Amino acid sequence: MGEVNVKTLKQKDRTFWEQTYVTEFIKGLGVTMKHFFTNLSPNKEDRDTRTVEYPDEPRDYPDRYRGRHRLMVRDDGQVRCVACMCCSTICPADCIHIEAAEHDDPSIEKYPETFVIDQLRCIACGMCVEACPCDAIRMDSGVHVSAFEDREESFHDRETLMDLGGQSMAEQGGDHIPSPN
Amino acid sequence: MPNWLAIILFLLVVLGAATGVISGAVWSAGFLPAMPGWLIILLKIGIIVFGFVMLVASLMTLVGDRKQSAKIQNRIGPNRATFFGQSLGGLPHFIADGIKMLFKEDIVPNGAHRTFHMVAPALIFIPALLGFSVIPFMDEYCSTGAPMVTPNYPFELCPNGEWLNYFQVIDLNSGMLFAFAIASIEVYGATIAGWAANNKYSLLGGMRSAAQMISYEVSLGLSLAGLLLIWGTLDLNEMVRLQGKLFAGWIPLWGIVIQPVAFFLFFLVGMAETKRPPFDQPEGESEIVAGYFTEYSSMKFAVIQLAEYVATVFLATLTAVFFLGGWQVPFLFADGFHFGGIGAQPDIALPYAVVIAMRIVAMLFKVLVVVWLQFMMRWTYPSFRYDQVMTMGWKIVLPLSLANFFVTAFIVLII
Amino acid sequence: MPKVTINNEEIEVDDGTTVMEAAAQLGYDIPHFCYHPALSIPANCRMCLVEVEDNPDLQPSCHMPVNDGMEVHTESERVVKARKSVLEFILVNHPVDCPICDQAGECKLQDYYMAYDAQESRLRTEKVDGVKVYPLGPEVVYDGERCILCTRCVRFCEEITETDELTTAQRGDHTEIRTFPGQELDNNYSMCTVDICPVGALTARDFRFKCRVWLMNTTDSVCTGCSQGCNIHLDHFRNEVQRYRPRYNPDVNDYWMCDPGRYTYKEVHQDRLEDPMVGDNVVNWHAATQAYVSTMDEALDTFEPSERAMVLSPQVSCEGLHQARRFADEVLETDRLYMGGKPGGESDDLLMNADKNPNRRGIEYVFGGLEAVDSFESLVDAMEAGEIRVLHMMNKHIPTTDDALRARFVDAVADLDLFVLQAMHRGEMVFPPDHRGDFPAADLDDPTLVELADIALPSSSHAEQDGTFVNEDGIAQPFSQSFKPLYNSQPDWQIFGRLGDEMGHSLSYRRLADLREEMFGDAEDDAKPKTLDDKQSKSRAPADAATQPTPAE
Repeated sequence: MGEVNVKTLKQKDRTFWEQTYVTEFIKGLGVTMKHFFTNLSPNKEDRDTRTVEYPDEPRDYPDRYRGRHRLMVRDDGQVRCVACMCCSTICPADCIHIEAAEHDDPSIEKYPETFVIDQLRCIACGMCVEACPCDAIRMDSGVHVSAFEDREESFHDRETLMDLGGQSMAEQGGDHIPSPN
Repeated sequence: MPNWLAIILFLLVVLGAATGVISGAVWSAGFLPAMPGWLIILLKIGIIVFGFVMLVASLMTLVGDRKQSAKIQNRIGPNRATFFGQSLGGLPHFIADGIKMLFKEDIVPNGAHRTFHMVAPALIFIPALLGFSVIPFMDEYCSTGAPMVTPNYPFELCPNGEWLNYFQVIDLNSGMLFAFAIASIEVYGATIAGWAANNKYSLLGGMRSAAQMISYEVSLGLSLAGLLLIWGTLDLNEMVRLQGKLFAGWIPLWGIVIQPVAFFLFFLVGMAETKRPPFDQPEGESEIVAGYFTEYSSMKFAVIQLAEYVATVFLATLTAVFFLGGWQVPFLFADGFHFGGIGAQPDIALPYAVVIAMRIVAMLFKVLVVVWLQFMMRWTYPSFRYDQVMTMGWKIVLPLSLANFFVTAFIVLII
Repeated sequence: MPKVTINNEEIEVDDGTTVMEAAAQLGYDIPHFCYHPALSIPANCRMCLVEVEDNPDLQPSCHMPVNDGMEVHTESERVVKARKSVLEFILVNHPVDCPICDQAGECKLQDYYMAYDAQESRLRTEKVDGVKVYPLGPEVVYDGERCILCTRCVRFCEEITETDELTTAQRGDHTEIRTFPGQELDNNYSMCTVDICPVGALTARDFRFKCRVWLMNTTDSVCTGCSQGCNIHLDHFRNEVQRYRPRYNPDVNDYWMCDPGRYTYKEVHQDRLEDPMVGDNVVNWHAATQAYVSTMDEALDTFEPSERAMVLSPQVSCEGLHQARRFADEVLETDRLYMGGKPGGESDDLLMNADKNPNRRGIEYVFGGLEAVDSFESLVDAMEAGEIRVLHMMNKHIPTTDDALRARFVDAVADLDLFVLQAMHRGEMVFPPDHRGDFPAADLDDPTLVELADIALPSSSHAEQDGTFVNEDGIAQPFSQSFKPLYNSQPDWQIFGRLGDEMGHSLSYRRLADLREEMFGDAEDDAKPKTLDDKQSKSRAPADAATQPTPAE
C-alpha cells in the first residue's frame, strides 16, 4: 500500500448573515436584477443577450466546421475521386456507397460511377476527408446539411456533391512535382 | 425585433385605459348616484376582475414567466409567432397559447371522480377572485367632489355630501378577515383536485398543497397581528388611509416603515401561499409530475394555472395594501401635495379628479412592482425541499412572527 | 545432408535446397518478387539478397543452394539496407497509384515498402511513362507503369500452360510485358497470371475495380466448375461472391485453377429461384411444406412405389445426397433413381475435366456405387412409357446437349401427375457478353421446368452452406459456408430433413456433424473417399514453415 497524501481543505465557515440567508438572498436577487436591467436597456448594444436568432441571423461556421461533403473536381470539371474506397472503408457509419468504373482516359483509369453519401447515416466525423489520398472529398463547404422531407433526399449523389466542389491545389495523377531546385 | 419600451408602453396604455374608465366614471359622477346600487357593484366587479386582475394575471404568463425570465437569463424569449411579420413582444404566442388551450382535448382519467374533477378548478379559481372584493383601489368618493383635508389626517370632511364607495366592491369593516378567510378556502380546491383525479402523484400533490397552505396560513395572519395592534382596525380602506399619516412631516407611515420585519415575513409567507417557485412543492415537477393538476388538460388546466397567477396578484395587492400604502401617494392628499406636514393650503393644488387618477395609478403600480419582485425571486432561487418548506414554516417563520407580534405589543403598550 | 546456419539457427536440409527454402523451414520469410515455388528461378528481382559469410557479395537466396557449414544472415544490417535500395530502384518508375490499383491490400510491393523502405522518393527526374490499360488478352489487362518485370507471368505461360504467349519487349526502363505478334493471352489459365503477379500490373477484366480486396472476407471452398474440385479462396463482400482464387493443394490443383472455373461464381447470384413456389404462387416455406405433404401423401396413396422416381444431382454436396438417399428410401420408398446434373464439356490435360459436375463421385460413395442410379435417357424412356407418375428432381440441369432428348423430357414432365423441383436457379442463365469460356448446361437450363413444377423449392449454393464434394480422384473435400443462404433458399440437406419430418419420418439432423458421420457410413472403409484432412487443416492454419516449405506465393 502506497502512501496516500491527504490534504484537508477546511471549509469556510458561514458567517452569521450567510447563515440567516437574508444577505445571500438579496445578493442573488441582485445578480438577476443586474441581468434584468442590463437586458432592458433600450440600446441593443448594451444588452447582454446571447441568443442567436439563427435563421434570421445566419451564423458563421468556424473554419474547421464539418459541413456538407463536397467532391472536388479536376481542371476539366470531372470528378477528382478515383474510387479507391478509402473513405467508404474508414467510414464508421458505413454511409458512403461507391461503385467504381473504368474511365475512357487511361491516365485516369478509374472513377466513381456512383458516389452516394447517405446524410442520414453520416455522423460528420470527417474521417473520410482524412482518409482520402487524393484530396477529392472535403467537408469544408461551410454549408450544413439541410433537413430532409423525404428519405430519398438524404442520399446525396455524385452530382449533388460535386455542385459544391472546387479545384484542389494539390497535383494529381502521374504528373511529377517539379524539383524545387 | 421585440422592443421592451414598446411593451412597457403597451402596459402603460392598458393601465391608462383601466384608470381612464374609472376616472371617466368619476367624471360622470353626476349620473352615477342615479344608478341602482347593484349596477354599480356589477360595474365595479367587471372593471376590477376583467380590466385588472385577469388582464394582469394572464399577461403574467407572457411577460413574467417568459419575457422576464428571458431577460434574466440573457435570452430573448418567444418571438417566433408574428402578426403581419411583427412579433409584438411575443404577444401572438400568448394568444396562440389561449387558443391552443381552448381547443385541446379535455381528458378525464379513468376512475376519476368526474364531478369533483370538474368542479375543482373552479374551487381554486373562485376564491382567488373573491378576495379582490374587499380591496380598496381608492379612497371613498366624496359625492360633491371636494373633500376637505384636515390637519388631523386621516379625518377628512365631505362638506354637503356623503362618502360613496365607488372603488371597492364591498366595504367590509372586517375586510382583512374576509380576505384571509377566502384565501384559505383555496386549499380545498387544490386538495379536491388532487384527490379526484385518481392518481397517486395528484394525491401527493394535493396533500402537500394542503399541508403547505395551512402551515403558512398561520404565519400569514400572525405576521399582520402587529399591524392590527398599531392600527386597531380590520377595514382595509381604513388601513390604507392610516398609512397616509406623515411622521415628522416627511416620512409616510407605511406598513413597511412601521413593521419592516412583518413585511419580509408577509412577503415570504405570501410566496409560499401562492405555491409558486421556490415554494412549488405541491407541483414538484421533478418528483410528482405536476402535483395536484397532473391529470388536468385543456381549459381546466388553464384555469388552475390562471388561479395561481391570480393568487400571486392577490398577494401582491394585499402586500401593497398592508405595507406599501395602498393607493396612497406620498404627500398627496385630497386637494393636492402637502410637503412637510398638512397645511391650510396644499403646496401643489390639484383637481380632485387628478388626485383620484393618481391614486388609482399608484395602487396599480405598487401591485405590479410587487408582482414583478415575486417573479424576480421566482427566477432567482432554487426550489426548497419539501421538508425544508415545512421546517421553515413552523420553526422559523412562525416563531419570528410571534416574536414580532410580542415586541410590537410591548412597544405599543409602552407608547 | 548439408547443415546450414541461418541467423545463428542450425538446420539440416536436403541436398539442392535453396537458401530461401531452408530459411522458410526455420520460419524466416525472405522478401521476394520473382521467385515462385511452382516456376523456374530467374533471380532477377534481387529482393531476396542475403548475406552469406565468407562471401563478399550479397547472394540471391532463391537461387543459391545451401552448402554444408554455410552461415547465412537474412536480417542483418547489410541485407536490410540492400532491400531498401532494391525497393528504391524498383520504385523509380513505379507510379505509386495505389488508390486506383486493384492490387492494393494484397500487393507485395506495398507490403515490402512499408516494411523496408518507408521513405519519400528522393528522385527528381520524370518517371518513364508506361502503357496503361493494355489488354493482353480477353481476361487480362496490363499496366506497364506498375510492372516490376519479375516475369512470373512469362514463365507461367512457358512452363505451366506451355502456350508461350508472353515475353518482355523493349530494353532498360522501357521494358514491358507483351504478347508475341498476332497472339493474345487467351488460354484457359490466363487469369492465373493475375494471381501470381506480385504487383498490380496484371488485373483481371472481371474483377477489375469491382471491390477493394481489404473489404472482402475469404472462405475456404471448392470450385464447382468441374469434377476436378480445385480448392479455392472464395472472396465475398456483403453476401456477394466477388471472385474465386485458387488455394494451394498439391494433390488437386497445385496453385492454379482454370478461367471457366473462376466464372462459375456467377451462378451463385444469377437467376436464383428466390422463394418456394406452389404452382405459380410464391409462398413461404411453411405453406410450401404443407402443400408438399398434402399432395405427396395423396400421391403416395395413389401410385405404386415403382411409379415414383427421383433425379439426383451431382451438383449437390454429399450431405444433400445422403439426405436424398434416405428420403428416397424412407419417404418415396422407391429405388428408381436417375442421374441429373450438367452435361459434359470441354477438357484439357491440366485441370479442366469434361465432367462439369463437382460431386459425381459423391453419388457413387453415398449410394455405394453407381449401379443403383440409372441414366437420364432411361428416365425419359420410362416417363414416356407412363411408368413414372411422380418425380422429385434435384436441380434443374438436364444432363444432355441433345435438343431432341431435352424436348422429350420437358414434354414428359408436363404429363406427370406430380413434379417437385428442388433447384437453385429459376430459368435460363444469361452471362454477360464479355464472359469467356464455355458453360455447359448453364445456358441449356430450361426455364419451363420451374413453371411446370407443381412445387418448386429453392436450394442454396455451395457458398451458403457447409458441405463436402468428392472430386474425380475420390478425394472428399469439405467447403465452408461464406454467408447465410440468400433469399429464402435452404441447403438441400435441410430441405430433405424438413420435408421428411413433415411426412412423418425422422429425417432431420440437429447437427451437420451427425449427418457427416453417417454420410459414408454404409460403405466399407476402403470404399470411402480419401480425405485430405491433414492438408486441408494445415492449409487453413497460418503458413506453417515445416509443411509449407515455400512462403505464400
